[in-house]
Amino acid sequence: MLLAVLSNALFFIGVPGQRVLPWLILLLSVVALALVIAGLKRVFSQSQIYRGKVSAVILAVLSLLLFGFGLLASYSGRNIPAAPGAPQVGQKAPEFSLSDSNGKPVSLSQLLSAPLANASHPKGVLLVFYRGYW
Amino acid sequence: MRGIEKDLNEFEAVGVRPVAISVDSPEESRDLSKKAGYTYTFLSDPGAKVTREYHLLHVAGGPEKQDISRPAEFLVDSSGTVRWVNFTEDIRVRARAEEMIAAARTLP
Repeated sequence: MLLAVLSNALFFIGVPGQRVLPWLILLLSVVALALVIAGLKRVFSQSQIYRGKVSAVILAVLSLLLFGFGLLASYSGRNIPAAPGAPQVGQKAPEFSLSDSNGKPVSLSQLLSAPLANASHPKGVLLVFYRGYW
Repeated sequence: MRGIEKDLNEFEAVGVRPVAISVDSPEESRDLSKKAGYTYTFLSDPGAKVTREYHLLHVAGGPEKQDISRPAEFLVDSSGTVRWVNFTEDIRVRARAEEMIAAARTLP
């Protein structure tokens, strides 16, 4: 279960094949849950060999909580609206004028025409919409 | 966005200007850039006006149910035409800088 939680850190390292990570994390979580259940069964069916029923139950509950948090994180991570109306390849990007971080207005056409830091003419602009509130 | 900052020279070499857009105010963007060391352009879309025009509105998606933008990336060529897009289905999974630079290389 810990492995499943820790594997979330892989998002920040930026390993290739990031797209499969959410599924890998889910898989690890399910495997961990199965191990927890198998462990609990053992403790209760062979109690003469395995002591510590109380600690086993506490650990199982903790694992379940972690699993729940994981599911919640997974759900909220994927709970974003589709963007069917957004500009697609081949369509014009709508023109805009917005303030930069110094409060200066900047338009898309300016971004497309102003020279880059190396004085070359830009071939394009990469618009990165992000959620904000960091 | 950290990946973009890291590969900023690469973006410049392929002739592409990265621009980040969110509903954060200019002051908040300035603080974020300062803290995280971002040196490229950050634009502020208060009230999500442009976000709405790009059909990216995530109603009540903010921490206090504010309307924000869903994550999305567009590569726009010098004529203003979209040449590459990415709409993630999971906020934890974003386009990687290498992907975007590869797309930028195909621009005329």
